Amino acid sequence: MVSQDLRNGVRLLWNARSVSAVALLALALGIGAAIAIFSVVDAVLLKPLPFREPDRLVVIYEKNPALKKYKLFVAPANFREWQRQSRTMESIAGIVDTRMTINAGPSGGMDAEELSAERVSAGLFPLLGVQPIVGRAFASEEDLPGHANFAMLSAALWQRRFASDRSIAGKTIRLRNQSYTVVGVLPQGFSVLAPDVDVFVPLGLAPDAGGRMLTAIGRLRAGASIEQARAEMETIGASLESADPALDRGWRPSLFPLRDEIAGDLRRPLLVLLGAVALLLAIACANVANLLLARGAGRRKEIAVRLALGATRARVARQLIVESLVLATTGGALGLGLGRAAVALVARLGSTQIPQLAAARVDLRLLLFSLTLTLATGLVFGTAPAIQLSDLRLQEDLAEGGRGGTMGRAGRALRNSLIVAEIGLALVVLIGAGLLMRSFLRLRAANAGFDPHNVLTFRLPLAGGRNYNRERAVAFYDQLTNQIAAIPGVRAAGGVSALPLTGLGVGSTLAIEGRPLPPPGERPMGLARYILGDYFRAMRIPLVEGRFFRDTDDARAPLACIVNQTLGRRFWPEASPVGGHLLLLGLDPQRSCEIVGVVGDVKADRIQNADWPTYYAPYRQIQTSAMVMAVRTGGPPLSLAAAIQHVIRQLDPDQAVGDLRIMDDVVDRAIAGSRLDTALLAILSAIAFALSVVGVYGVVAYDVGQRTHEFGIRVALGAGRSEIIALVVGHVARLAALGIALGLAAAFALTQLMSSMLYEVRPRDFFTYAAISLILGAVALAAGYLPSRRAVALDPVTALRHS
Amino acid sequence: MITLRNVEKFYEGGYGRTYVLRRISLEIKEGEFVTIMGPSGAGKSTLLSILGMLDGAWTGEFEFYNNTVHRMKPKERVELNKKYIGFVFQSYHLIDNLTVYENLDIPLSYRNVKSSERAAMVCDTLDRFHIVGKRDLYPSQLSGGQQQLVAVARAVIANPKLILADEPTGNLHSSQGKEIMELFKKLNDEGTTIVQVTHSEANAAFGNRIVNLADGWIV
Repeated sequence: MVSQDLRNGVRLLWNARSVSAVALLALALGIGAAIAIFSVVDAVLLKPLPFREPDRLVVIYEKNPALKKYKLFVAPANFREWQRQSRTMESIAGIVDTRMTINAGPSGGMDAEELSAERVSAGLFPLLGVQPIVGRAFASEEDLPGHANFAMLSAALWQRRFASDRSIAGKTIRLRNQSYTVVGVLPQGFSVLAPDVDVFVPLGLAPDAGGRMLTAIGRLRAGASIEQARAEMETIGASLESADPALDRGWRPSLFPLRDEIAGDLRRPLLVLLGAVALLLAIACANVANLLLARGAGRRKEIAVRLALGATRARVARQLIVESLVLATTGGALGLGLGRAAVALVARLGSTQIPQLAAARVDLRLLLFSLTLTLATGLVFGTAPAIQLSDLRLQEDLAEGGRGGTMGRAGRALRNSLIVAEIGLALVVLIGAGLLMRSFLRLRAANAGFDPHNVLTFRLPLAGGRNYNRERAVAFYDQLTNQIAAIPGVRAAGGVSALPLTGLGVGSTLAIEGRPLPPPGERPMGLARYILGDYFRAMRIPLVEGRFFRDTDDARAPLACIVNQTLGRRFWPEASPVGGHLLLLGLDPQRSCEIVGVVGDVKADRIQNADWPTYYAPYRQIQTSAMVMAVRTGGPPLSLAAAIQHVIRQLDPDQAVGDLRIMDDVVDRAIAGSRLDTALLAILSAIAFALSVVGVYGVVAYDVGQRTHEFGIRVALGAGRSEIIALVVGHVARLAALGIALGLAAAFALTQLMSSMLYEVRPRDFFTYAAISLILGAVALAAGYLPSRRAVALDPVTALRHS
Repeated sequence: MITLRNVEKFYEGGYGRTYVLRRISLEIKEGEFVTIMGPSGAGKSTLLSILGMLDGAWTGEFEFYNNTVHRMKPKERVELNKKYIGFVFQSYHLIDNLTVYENLDIPLSYRNVKSSERAAMVCDTLDRFHIVGKRDLYPSQLSGGQQQLVAVARAVIANPKLILADEPTGNLHSSQGKEIMELFKKLNDEGTTIVQVTHSEANAAFGNRIVNLADGWIV
């Protein structure tokens, strides 16, 4: 019996090809989009992390609520105490991000390359349950200061620079110009918090290591909950504060599940996208349900005959549901094809921003998801026509030449409700996308405090190289900046310890000389940047007052610094900071620097974030292991790359050059996350928009067809062209107005969830709401107007005969 | 009131023209009750559609209340329809999803009558046709005779000078049909010109002139 229903379903699909094509397209788009977004959610939020019992893994930071800092690096002394005292943790390991230049492999010298590296506790790999694919992990005795010259390679580095040499374990490479013994190679794609780390070396924590520089990873003891661990660590934190108030006043451990940290800021945007795709699927279902209702209206007689021949209503309902499931499975299969293509695209485009996306695939889980989705949609849109058609009045529908006319009031009301729902849902998705788009445009147009156009940047790590010592480094950079500045086409050249929009980087607690020193834990933090050459001019960071650094601000001169406006305003709200003295407590509490100038604020990490108090010191006075050069050019910056690299090779043929890119790319990367969210939501909203417009058009066109007779009567009674158009379009206008009103109410509530994703746009932005309502309303009216022209073109005599 | 001269209606087909009406010349004076009769396919309903301005695709001359219809644009013809004509059809042609009250209101709404006046006119008509109790019912809740009564009420509500009735009793049993015809007679006595199409000799007897059609010709 079911096979008969199936055959019927297939035949119906084929016979009503145009209706089927529209329905299948709607389903394929809805299901395909749902698969694509679910694959992202699955890869980022749901798939188990590639570690042993990943739900027991936590990340431990330090927090200082008084300073409103909740995720800061950990002081090594505290890290050791946690390891010693914690009973809820099975083990705790530490990680420090760093960079290392490689310049030799087992078979001798190789092109120098700066690698992304992590110093890690030897216990990290057993803690995570990760086995190397070649060799072994670090032994605990290899994690000792002064004896830590061992390395584990990422699979990517092993393949790229060592030709996947399986005998690499035990061989020696040169990092930072020192010999390191390779002990093993990690599995493909291994990363903990930071993506694309090339090499891991032991933490080798010195007993007197100061500052706050570690990220701690812990494994909860079996049976221990994160709440228990938080409570225990709070107690340990309090005891550490009383033991060493100078270090720990106001500081406490702060624990988060590792999965949440890896998902990071993605959780909210992904959930919003998932919500949007659910709405899209609902629109697709409403669309298909409406098409089936329209088709069903034409089948009243067939169903009446079936009932008259003895079919039960349940039997008829089953047939209709099987038919819709045939449609749904065909749509689902097409959607799966579309989804696969979309997943591949998302994996390719999104993986630079979201590393886990590289692994997004249509696997068994996604197939199951698609199947569930398909069956659910089939049931949802198949039920409405089934209910409607099982409520037939046999005599009327069987009677030849019956009064016919339009479908019953209940049927029309149901189809009207579906249209209202489609418009409302589409409005919500469109407003969400509109808000993100406005936010993205503002983000793009936002002033990050510098001019990124025509600036070439690259990293020059000195650590381990021949210019690493202080005198040689200063001379090297002096020569380099002068020679680069002399290249035709270069307008200004300089360097900085950390580029804008690449992270907070190094910071220090600050105090003002001559003012009372705040107690430890309440001392303000400032970001530290060391600069050389014409950095401010190269980046066009404006000088607000005072002066830039001079060549005479060198090791022999008193320490000079330039502060940003935020720092100036904070400590000298009424006066000029120039001439004031800053105590750089994290660097040398005894030394102060004189403020010689004030420059404009520059965004350190994200454009959305508030400006940090920042001070700049000359590289001649405070050195760092690597500098990022910034070269302003008159034309396309990359055209000068070869000339600049030539200058570097002339000065030091072994000098590694990393991250060669234009500053526009740095800015692009900083807003890439927002761009991905915006692009995905924009695509979803475009589909939602198209589906709802097709839905309105389809229903109105169908309605006009059904009302041919009525229009004939109206014309006979004196209705003119404009009155018929007004009748049809007026009906659409009422539905659109109701849909828009309901959609606005829903958007008002739902867009609140997006507030953290928006930059300088309120979730209830009037312009977005008004513009999108007007556009959707106008397009819905246009979709209603086209069929109304057909109604006007009807010959009233023919129309009157039509019933 | 109505003058037709050499009015012809035809369709172009694969074998040349197929004529529905041929050289129709006809004069109808104000206050007449004219019956058009003839076998099926003679062109009766087509002639009625032309008289009612529903059909614009014909040749010849047509004057209506001193308006040269054959020179008028479709929009102007619609205005003539609105101003002077009311229609009654064989199969009632009430709008299914409107109540009796709303069906009566339609012709007035197309004639820009103020809503307060419309309400009064609809109530008067409901009263005049003794269908006040049916005002909130839908057509499907009425018998055939009641539906045709509403259709006649709808045709006269805007005080037309001319009522065109296409087999108005075709779907009714004899007593209901007689009632409707008496209503037409009464309207005619009050001054309304009536043109009806019918097969029934008895109905034709209510009128004062018969026009016979056969194969599109007046015979």
